[in-house]
Amino acid sequence: MATEPVLFPTCLGDIVMPEAVRHAVVTLRACGVAPRPVRNATCCGQPGYNAGHHDEARRVARRTLRVLDRTDGDVIVPAGSCAAMMRLHWRELFAGTRDERAAVRVGRRVRELSTVLADRVDVVAARGLAWPGRAGYHDSCHMLRELRIAVEPRALLGHVRDLELVPLSSSERCCGFGGTFSVRYPEVSVAMADSKLDDARQAGVDVLVSADPGCLMQLGGRATRRGDGPRVVHLATLLWEAGLR
Amino acid sequence: MTAAPDPALLARIAPTELRPGEDPVTRFVREARLVQTAVEVTTRDRLAAAVTEALRAEGARRVAVAADLAPLRYEMAARLREAGIEAVRYEDVAPDRDAVRDLDATVTGCMAAVAATGSIVTGGAAGRGGALVAPVHVCVVERSRLFDGLLALLRALPDLGAASAIALQTGPSRTADIEKTLILGMHGPKAVHVVVVVDAPATPAP
Amino acid sequence: MTTLRPDPLTTSTFRERARAQLAKPFLREAVPKATDHAVAALRTRFADHDYEALRELGRAIRAEAIADLDRHLADLEQALVANGVRVHHAADAGAARDLIRGIVRDAGGRTVVKVKSMATEEIDLNPALAADGVRVVETDLGEYVVQLDGDRPSHIIAPIIHKTRGEVRESLSRAVGRELPDDAAALTGVARAQLRDAFMEADVGISGANFGVADTGTICLVTNEGNGRMCTSLPRVHIALMGVERVVPRMTDLAVLLPLLTGAGTGQLVTSYVNLLSGPRRPGEPDGPEEMHVVLLDNGRRALRGTPYEEVLHCIRCGACQNVCPVYRQVGGHAYGWVYGGPIGAVLTPLFRGQRDGGELSQATSLCGACDDVCPVKIPLHDLLLSLRRDRAAAGVAPRGERIAARLWSWAWAHPATYRLSVRLARAASLPARHPAVARRLPLAGRWAAGRTLPRPARRPYHRRLR
Repeated sequence: MATEPVLFPTCLGDIVMPEAVRHAVVTLRACGVAPRPVRNATCCGQPGYNAGHHDEARRVARRTLRVLDRTDGDVIVPAGSCAAMMRLHWRELFAGTRDERAAVRVGRRVRELSTVLADRVDVVAARGLAWPGRAGYHDSCHMLRELRIAVEPRALLGHVRDLELVPLSSSERCCGFGGTFSVRYPEVSVAMADSKLDDARQAGVDVLVSADPGCLMQLGGRATRRGDGPRVVHLATLLWEAGLR
Repeated sequence: MTAAPDPALLARIAPTELRPGEDPVTRFVREARLVQTAVEVTTRDRLAAAVTEALRAEGARRVAVAADLAPLRYEMAARLREAGIEAVRYEDVAPDRDAVRDLDATVTGCMAAVAATGSIVTGGAAGRGGALVAPVHVCVVERSRLFDGLLALLRALPDLGAASAIALQTGPSRTADIEKTLILGMHGPKAVHVVVVVDAPATPAP
Repeated sequence: MTTLRPDPLTTSTFRERARAQLAKPFLREAVPKATDHAVAALRTRFADHDYEALRELGRAIRAEAIADLDRHLADLEQALVANGVRVHHAADAGAARDLIRGIVRDAGGRTVVKVKSMATEEIDLNPALAADGVRVVETDLGEYVVQLDGDRPSHIIAPIIHKTRGEVRESLSRAVGRELPDDAAALTGVARAQLRDAFMEADVGISGANFGVADTGTICLVTNEGNGRMCTSLPRVHIALMGVERVVPRMTDLAVLLPLLTGAGTGQLVTSYVNLLSGPRRPGEPDGPEEMHVVLLDNGRRALRGTPYEEVLHCIRCGACQNVCPVYRQVGGHAYGWVYGGPIGAVLTPLFRGQRDGGELSQATSLCGACDDVCPVKIPLHDLLLSLRRDRAAAGVAPRGERIAARLWSWAWAHPATYRLSVRLARAASLPARHPAVARRLPLAGRWAAGRTLPRPARRPYHRRLR
C-alpha cells in the first residue's frame, strides 16, 4: 500500500512563520515529495514537557498524536526541536497511557525537514540553485544533539551557487530560546542571543539560517530589536529564495 | 562488574599511554618539554656534570640533595664546590622550616617516570617536600624506571616500595588563576630540570 | 541545613542574581574567554585520541563504584585504616564540620592551610573553624583571593574566573598593606610569599579528595599549583574531606579517570601534581604528617542511589559542563546561588538543597544538551534536568502564575477550535502590543518584548490556508 507523507506545521510554524511552512511544502514538492499538511494538529507539547508539566503537555500532544496516527507516511517536521520531541520524548510522555503504542508508532515516522530534502540532494543539485551572499548556519540544539542532524542542512546550502557558507565558531551554541526559558530569564536569554548575533556580525554574514522556528523567533526577534543583525531565515525559505520551488 | 582497564584498549584511546612502537625516551623528552621541564638525556659518566650544570644555570647557591641520590651526592661534591654551590642532605634540613626556606634548589632521584606524560614520580625516601619546597628542582631519572604510560605506572606502584605519599609531577608548579595568564612556580618550583640517565650512549635529544 | 553565611538561594531568585552578574562587564568578557579556552584545550587534547571510548570506560568505572557504593567504601575504609589513616563518617554538613573542628582542636591547631575543595565549600567549613579561633588560609591562589574578599568560588576549578587582574591586585594590596604592581607574575609572587608563611606556620592541612582508591587505601589529590603537596607534607596533621561518591575500586582506574578529569577540566594531559596519599609519614621518610584523617561526607549522597538521579553521583567535578554551558557563559557561577554552578549545579542544588530552596535552578538552563556531550563520565545531565523539572511541577513548588499558565495552555491547545481561537486572540492583542511600551506591560509577552521584537501571529496562520 502506498503511503502518503504528511507535514506537521508545528505551532510556531503555523502561527508566526506560515511562510516558512509554505516554503517547506514547496521545496519538498520541488524535490518530488508531495506532503499533505495535516489539519487539526496543534502542538507537540514540548513547551509544557520541557517545563516539567507533563500532564498538561500530554493533553496538548495527545491531540496532535492522534491526528498523526491516522496518517501513514513520513511525518515531516520543519522544526528540529519538535521533531526531537516527537521522535524521542513522546514515548516517555505517553508511557503507561493508552497512547503509548501510538506515540512509538508515530515517533518512528517523524522526519526532520532537512533530512528529507537531503535524501533528494541530487535533485537539489540539478536545480541550479543560486543565492548571492554570505550565510551562517545555526544548529538548533535538539536537532544537533538529540537527532544528530548537522551535515544535512549544510550539504543543502552547499548546493546553492554564489552562497558562501561561512563557518561560525558559535554555530553549535544555544541561541537562548529554550522554550519557557526565554521568558523566565529574559535577560539571560537575550544575552545569549546577542553573543550569537555578535559572532554572526563579526563573521560578516548577510543571513543566519536555521531549521527551527524557536531559534528563528529568538534570533530574529533580537536581531530586529537591535537593528544591526543579519537577516534570520528558515532553511526552507532560503532554499525557496534560491530557486527550489 | 567491570574489570581493570585493558592495557591494549587504553593504549589505543588514552592520551596518557604510549602508542605502540613509540620510543619511550623520545616521548618523555617531548612531553616534558611541552610543560616547561628542561630535559637532558645523558650517560652515567656525565651525570654529575649534567646536574651541576643545571644548578649553575639556575644560579643556585644552596642546595639540598635527597637521600635517594646518596652516592651521587658525594660524586658531585667536588664539582659543586668548584661551582660555589653548597650542598646539604635534604633529610638534615627537612625538619627545620627556616633552613628549608633558604634552599635555592633541591636535587632528588625519583621512584619512576612516565614516558607518555613526561612525568616524574617522587616520594618515599626522597620525602614529600624534597621535590617541592625550593624554587628549583633537579631530578635524576633512570632509564630503567621509565614506564610507558600511566596505566603501567599505576599497576607497578605496589612493587615500587611502600611510601606514604607519592606524587606524579609534571612540569613546574603553575597557576592560571589570574585572567588565565600562565605563571610558573606558584607553590612548588618554578623551574624543573630532569636528567635522564641512559646506560647506552645517549642519542642526542632532538 | 544550616549555613553560616548568607544564603542567596533562599533570599533571591536566579533571575535577580543573573541580572546582577550580567551587569559586570569583566565577567561577560572573562568567562567566555576562559571557558572557550578550556573547551578548545579539551578538543585539542583528544583530537588524536578516542574521547568517546575513553569516557565510556570512565562511565563504566563510575557506575561500578556507585552501584556497589557501600562495599567499595568499606574496602576503602579498611585499606585506609591499614595504612594508618583514621576514618570518620559524617552524615551531613553539620556532622562533618563538627568532626573536623574536633580533629583540629585535638591537634591543638591554630593555623589551618587548605587545598581548594568544593566539599569544604559545601559544608561551609571555613566560618565554622574561624568561629573556633582557628586561622584558616586557603592556599590555592584563586581560593586565597576569594577568601580575602569574603567571596565564593565561581567555577569548580577556576575559582576567580569572574575577577579581573585589577581586582586581584586590590585584594592582595590590601592584604599586604602596600600598593602592588598590576602584573600577574608579581601578584602571584606576593601571594606565594604570603602563603609560604602560612605553610610554615600551619599545624593542620585540610584538603578535599578527587578520588578515594579502595584497593590501596589512597586519597588522590590533583592540583597544578603544588599546594596540595604542601598542605599534605608540612603540617603535622592532614584531614581529607571526601564525598562518599568519590570512591573508585582500583588504583588502575585512575589510568582512565585522571586523563578524563584533567583533559575535560583544563585540557592538560595530566596536572602538574597528582598526589597519591596513603597514610601518615612512615619510618624512614624525612617528612609528612604524623596523623592523617579522612572524613567521609554523605550529606544527601547515599539517598540518591536507586533514584532517577543516581548518575549524578558519577560526577568527578571537572567543570567541563560549566565550560560548555551557554547560560554559565553569560552569568558565571555566582548566579546559581549555592556551591556548584553551571549544569552540574543546576542538578545538584535541587537535590542537595531540596525542591523548595533549590528547585528553581533546574529551570536555569536552556536545555541545549551541550553538557551531556562533553561530560567525561557521560552523566545524562539533560535528562536529569528534565526529571527535576517534572518533580518540581509535581511537588507544587512552581510559582502559581506558572501553574495557571500551564493549565490554560493545556486547556486551549488540546483542541483545534480553542487553539485557533487563542491564535486569533493573540493576533488581536498583538496590534496594540506592537508598541513596545504596551508590550512590556503584558504578562508573558512583556518578558519577551523587553529585549526582542514580539513575533506577531500571522494574519493567515498556516491552518487557515488549508481550508
